[in-house]
Amino acid sequence: MKKVTYIEAITQALDEEMARDERVFLIGEDIGLYGGVFKATKGLMDKYGAERVIDSPISEVYIAGGSVGAAMVGMKPVPEIQFADFITPSMDQIIQQMAKLRYRTAGQWTCPVTMRVCCGADVGGGLYHSQINEQWFVSQPGLIVVMPATPYDAKGLLKAAIRGEDPVIYFEHKRLYRWIKEEIPEDDFTVPIGKAAVRKKGNDITIVSYGLMYHRAAEAVTALEKDGISAELIDMRTLLPWDRETIFESVKKTSRAVLVQESSKTGGVMGEVGAAIAEEIFDYLDAPVTRVCGIDVPAVPFAPPMEHFFLPNADKISRAVKKVLEY
Amino acid sequence: MPANTKSAGKTALAETGLSEQTLMGLYTNLLKTRLLDERFRKLFRQGRFAGTYFSAVGQEATTVGPTYGLRDDDIIAPSHREIGANVTKGVPIEIIAAQVYARGNSPDKGKSHPCHYGWRPKGVITPASTVAGQTIIGTGCAMAFRIQKKDNVVVAFFGEGSTARGGWHEALNYAGIYKLPIVYVCQNNLWAESVPATLAAGITDFADRAKAYGFPGVTIDGNDIVTVHKTAADAIAKARSGGGPTLIECKTYRWYGHSEIDPADYRAQEELEAWKKKDPVLRAEKLLTDLGLLTTEKREAMVEQISAEIDAAIDSVDKAPYSAPEEAYNDVYSAQFPVRRDEY
Repeated sequence: MKKVTYIEAITQALDEEMARDERVFLIGEDIGLYGGVFKATKGLMDKYGAERVIDSPISEVYIAGGSVGAAMVGMKPVPEIQFADFITPSMDQIIQQMAKLRYRTAGQWTCPVTMRVCCGADVGGGLYHSQINEQWFVSQPGLIVVMPATPYDAKGLLKAAIRGEDPVIYFEHKRLYRWIKEEIPEDDFTVPIGKAAVRKKGNDITIVSYGLMYHRAAEAVTALEKDGISAELIDMRTLLPWDRETIFESVKKTSRAVLVQESSKTGGVMGEVGAAIAEEIFDYLDAPVTRVCGIDVPAVPFAPPMEHFFLPNADKISRAVKKVLEY
Repeated sequence: MPANTKSAGKTALAETGLSEQTLMGLYTNLLKTRLLDERFRKLFRQGRFAGTYFSAVGQEATTVGPTYGLRDDDIIAPSHREIGANVTKGVPIEIIAAQVYARGNSPDKGKSHPCHYGWRPKGVITPASTVAGQTIIGTGCAMAFRIQKKDNVVVAFFGEGSTARGGWHEALNYAGIYKLPIVYVCQNNLWAESVPATLAAGITDFADRAKAYGFPGVTIDGNDIVTVHKTAADAIAKARSGGGPTLIECKTYRWYGHSEIDPADYRAQEELEAWKKKDPVLRAEKLLTDLGLLTTEKREAMVEQISAEIDAAIDSVDKAPYSAPEEAYNDVYSAQFPVRRDEY
């Protein structure tokens, strides 16, 4: 087993899937000659040629829509959106075409596109290079939305997405690219889409998160342990369709839940998770379900103190957990 | 028939540059499209199917001409007013009727919309209502054909109004860079719903837009089936052999409203009357009659045969059931991800 970073895991997944299936091709801005602004596609153009690693013009509409068309005639496109902030022009193609294609053709056509979207804050990117907008996509049945938190999951989920028959929006967090390293198997493996991971067992409270916030929640769990609090920690991994069983099972056991997401609270993923808990397992609850989220402003502000004020962190999560336990 | 007339006919046939068989094939599809389209208008007004209907009467040549002669594995990327392209590509009338009636035996099982025709066996990709969306997807198909080293082509249809969309420009820009095997057919019918072409762009010939993308654009008489077919066939042959895209602007006109719920009272009656004189079906009829390929009797026999085919199709969809409501749960994801069913 070799230690790899989150971004190395992504590159490995792309490389291996391109090698095993000639239908897989990449398209995106600066992904070829330059190897991607974060180097996720480094070396792949040399290895697979300019027809399978396509340097696209600045055309997010085409990157998404062209991928839909290519998928319809037998390809497995893996388009890249360089920054989640720039995905807005392609929303029409993602929502109206990609997500609905199977449905509006009653399965005559499917849309196996895996769209890699680089997202996230805590990198000093400012208003237009720090957004995390998974909530826009989780409200659209027909799409699969995943967000890995670890190198193992980054590789396994990306491979599963590329091998699947559904359109996947694959969010990768830029803060995680080189921050975390992990030993992962050298043999081929995938991580099942739609399954959450219980990262740590606990009895007093359930903490649910994903992406970078999973790591903040893990820091909180370690701190809470010192105060004698046993938290169960769940990494959602797939945000649509999400793993209701695993989360419900945990909350039934602990009777309390704190839900953590990086994006603003309003209309977020955890609003849905919280509502589902209230709707379906209310009788098991001993306290209100509580959310720790980014603040309700248009985007992540730039100046470092404001950026960190925006984001959830281990302290905020720990305080929320204690409040719920004291209820 | 006197010998000298027959000889004159042969000369004129040579002048069209098309075979007798092609001319008759084009005309048959024009006639079938016209009759089917007028029938659907009537059926909608009778309340026989839901939603609305988007008639293409008056602009049949723009869809029949480019589609005639395509292979089954070539792709057409239509919008909602391309019934003629579907007819010509060989989609059976029963399939088209089932689509319009939203019945369970429709290719989309009734999920999309009456005029969102699409059928995979004939390479017709089902459109969405966001116009120009299909142009972008069609370009993606052409990109795939290039990567796959196949000689298939794509013909993408849209109106002049769609060319205002940003994504349309992104697609053509991409096709120009990579010389993709695609032919773009702009049906300039002068009206984008109620907005005249003069308010849609600062140019009058929409083919001029091609210049910005590095491939040829031509403006032609869209009501002349011979011109439309020959121009498109040349562009398709060029695209198939690696010569890259062409934008063909067909000047044409729709006789009725944007859909059947639109009285089109924003247009001058004189404009409509002037265009009705350029009826593409009548013009084809005149040409074929002049060439000695068509007689009144022959035409009447064709009308009778096509009408019987339409009658049978309508009769069949009238009897066909809708999909069960629970069909609404299907085709969201692959079988791996079942849709949650709420029960109350």
